[in-house]
Amino acid sequence: MAATLNVMRHAFHAGLADYRAIFTWRSWLAGWYVRVLFQVGFFALIGERLGDDDKTYYLLVGNSMLIAGQLGVFSLNMTTAERWAGTLPLLVASPSSPVLVFSARGAYLAVDGALSALAALFVAGPIFGMDLPWPRVLAVIPVTLVIAAASYAFGTFLAGVVFRFRSVNSLVVVTTYVALMAACGVNVPLSYYPEPVELLSRVLPLTNGLLAIRDAFAGAPAAEIVGNTALEAAVALGWMIAALLSFNRLASRGRRDGSLDYGA
Amino acid sequence: MEAVEVEEITRVFEPRRRSGTRVVALDDVSLTVPTGEIHGLLGPNGAGKTTLVKILSTVLLPTSGRARVLGHDVVDETHAVRPLIGIVFGGERGLYWRLTGRQNLEYWGALYKLSTRDAKTRGQQLLERVGMADKADERVEEYSRGMKQRLHLARGLMGDGKVLFLDEPTTGMDPLAAREFRTLIGELRDEGRTILLATHDMVEAETVCDRVTLIDRGKIVATESPRTLGQVLSRFQRVDAEGASEEVLSKIRALPGVSSVAAVDGVGTRIEVDEEGVTQLVLELLVEAGVTSVRTSLPSLDEVYVQLIGERGMEI
Amino acid sequence: MRGFLAGFLLELRVVRANPDALIPLLTAPLFAIIFLAIVRQSGRSDLEPDALLAPVLMSLWWIALVQAGSMITADRWQAVLEPVIAAPTSLASVLVGRIACLMSVGLLSFFEVWLAGWLIFGVSIPFEHPLELALTLVATALAMAGTAVAFAALFVMTRNAYTFINSASFPFYVLGGVLVPVAYLPDWIEPVSSLLFLSWSADLLRATLKEPAVDDFWSRLAMVLVLGAITFAIGRAVLFHVLRRMRAKGELATA
Repeated sequence: MAATLNVMRHAFHAGLADYRAIFTWRSWLAGWYVRVLFQVGFFALIGERLGDDDKTYYLLVGNSMLIAGQLGVFSLNMTTAERWAGTLPLLVASPSSPVLVFSARGAYLAVDGALSALAALFVAGPIFGMDLPWPRVLAVIPVTLVIAAASYAFGTFLAGVVFRFRSVNSLVVVTTYVALMAACGVNVPLSYYPEPVELLSRVLPLTNGLLAIRDAFAGAPAAEIVGNTALEAAVALGWMIAALLSFNRLASRGRRDGSLDYGA
Repeated sequence: MEAVEVEEITRVFEPRRRSGTRVVALDDVSLTVPTGEIHGLLGPNGAGKTTLVKILSTVLLPTSGRARVLGHDVVDETHAVRPLIGIVFGGERGLYWRLTGRQNLEYWGALYKLSTRDAKTRGQQLLERVGMADKADERVEEYSRGMKQRLHLARGLMGDGKVLFLDEPTTGMDPLAAREFRTLIGELRDEGRTILLATHDMVEAETVCDRVTLIDRGKIVATESPRTLGQVLSRFQRVDAEGASEEVLSKIRALPGVSSVAAVDGVGTRIEVDEEGVTQLVLELLVEAGVTSVRTSLPSLDEVYVQLIGERGMEI
Repeated sequence: MRGFLAGFLLELRVVRANPDALIPLLTAPLFAIIFLAIVRQSGRSDLEPDALLAPVLMSLWWIALVQAGSMITADRWQAVLEPVIAAPTSLASVLVGRIACLMSVGLLSFFEVWLAGWLIFGVSIPFEHPLELALTLVATALAMAGTAVAFAALFVMTRNAYTFINSASFPFYVLGGVLVPVAYLPDWIEPVSSLLFLSWSADLLRATLKEPAVDDFWSRLAMVLVLGAITFAIGRAVLFHVLRRMRAKGELATA
């Protein structure tokens, strides 16, 4: 157990180092964060167009939290990065579980996701004149972390599924987060969906956590907030288990048919 | 009119970062290649061969000096030069890997101003000529290194260039394919084309080229006929033998033309000669003495250079 | 002309073999569904045209920014840039041909969003001014193509191109009034927005789907074309300069 945690700790730092190679504080702010603010603003403005403040805030909250979902889905790109770097077969050959190492390696995405989402909410909110009830609004922070974790688990699961098809990677990433935008109660309430879609959305990341966040803003009872957060955590766990299974299958299949090759 | 005229070309690469070094890739290089010649540009990696080829094919500007291809300046008259040349840069990249070999050729044909029909026809002809006709409709990403190399050659010929620049075209090819390639180059010369072949393979330079220019560290060392090169190669051979007795070794040492007999770790005894015909005598002596673990090898390019530079002005 | 056709055909083949080319065609109907849901749920069926037009503009812009923008950089990495430069056909004409192909593919999103709207929400919007709509779409695609050339030239110069690519989507959707008209933005943004052909295109496209006759159609159309042409001219100049510089420094190929 201790050895696994140790490997994970190293993997996390390795991922963080990779990340730092791509982003400095400046490029993160000017490159990524600016885009995030405009993405949230793009949707919030629809509320202005409709002349409905409540709708504006609804869209603002939903799309801020979507950012956590979006970054979680980016974790899909990691397996291809590993495969290209030729490290995947080495990982499979090592005594550590590939899934755990992966999840640690890409965990910076979950952290970035939560950070970006909160930074968007707490900046765009006041810009659009949204009231952030203090200290109730602090409850949003842990829930956002759970959402980020759930999205990240979902992304990891998908990574295992599309592993064999490197060329559709970007396609799946973009389509998935836009689909999350459509299906998770980000822009319209769940009640608006036909029932099968609503049921599906409940097992996707973001949906339950977002309900908890909206509850927090609306001043709903703590039990409801905790309940929805717990559901989100359950979703996170579920996708993590699915990811584990999917990776194990990937590893055993790969060993059989040679798809775990170096730099393919 | 000469096919290629290079006059005192210098090419300097300034460092990108302050900590980098300034590289003089070509230093006052002059060269002339008459029409219809296969001219070898022989040198180790980093000698400046690729740099010169890039300048002549108009994708790189010289720092100073001038060069002309078929009478047109490569800096100022690119419009005149580009239709006349063909380039074979080779390597793993350089092709659209998601397209098939045939589609790649048709694209290049269009870039060389061929009509769609002509591009298709010539593409097919060239595919057959380089032996890629049966693989033509597979994606380039599926090709082996040697296949890509052959496709590069076909691509270089799509424009029907009068002057061809080939940069290490047989690297990565197996010996059989490389030999076919060289035959093909001879055919191209017989069609009246001029070929500048950059290579670090001495044997290739010797067998294919009409003349060979040796280049090292940006400077021209010598321009020789391949026969001369061949003579140098055969003169300065070495023989590695294992298990030779002191008796036979002292006989060998006594032979005129044997320049050194020394024990080398892992090899046994290394016998170096510096006269033609001596290798045979050495081998005969060894075999007579019952030594069968014998290997001959050619001198390295460095050694050849040293010999040539050392003997500049003397008759080889 | 030959270079244009060669580029067009090449890109057609590349697109067929490249799943990434489908991204704008998959996101367009999804965005259409998202925007329509918002609009319908708020009972504003008058905004349905807006909801359908925005995804088309977003897809075309994405194509110009990401696919066309990375074209030269990708060629350079693939060691194909040098041989193209050494060929007697101009790189600019090949580039324009390739971009034209991408824009044509992008315009398919127009049909997609209408189909998605009709199938899922039963949206049926009469084409009040079909000729004006068609002309504006073509003009928009041309202006997009011009912008794409500018992006292609810019990105080969910058080291962190991908950071910019990531950040230049939504800011332009907002400033260009792609979904919410520029008039709803703070006043001080308007001068900036009016420099973008996007804002003129978006306003004009929305107007062609409304009942009353389109005000000042021809002058507004001209604005789209002029702004697009200016961007193209700047892009072309930058391209020549960049290529010349790369030829001088030996950077046409990566090491």
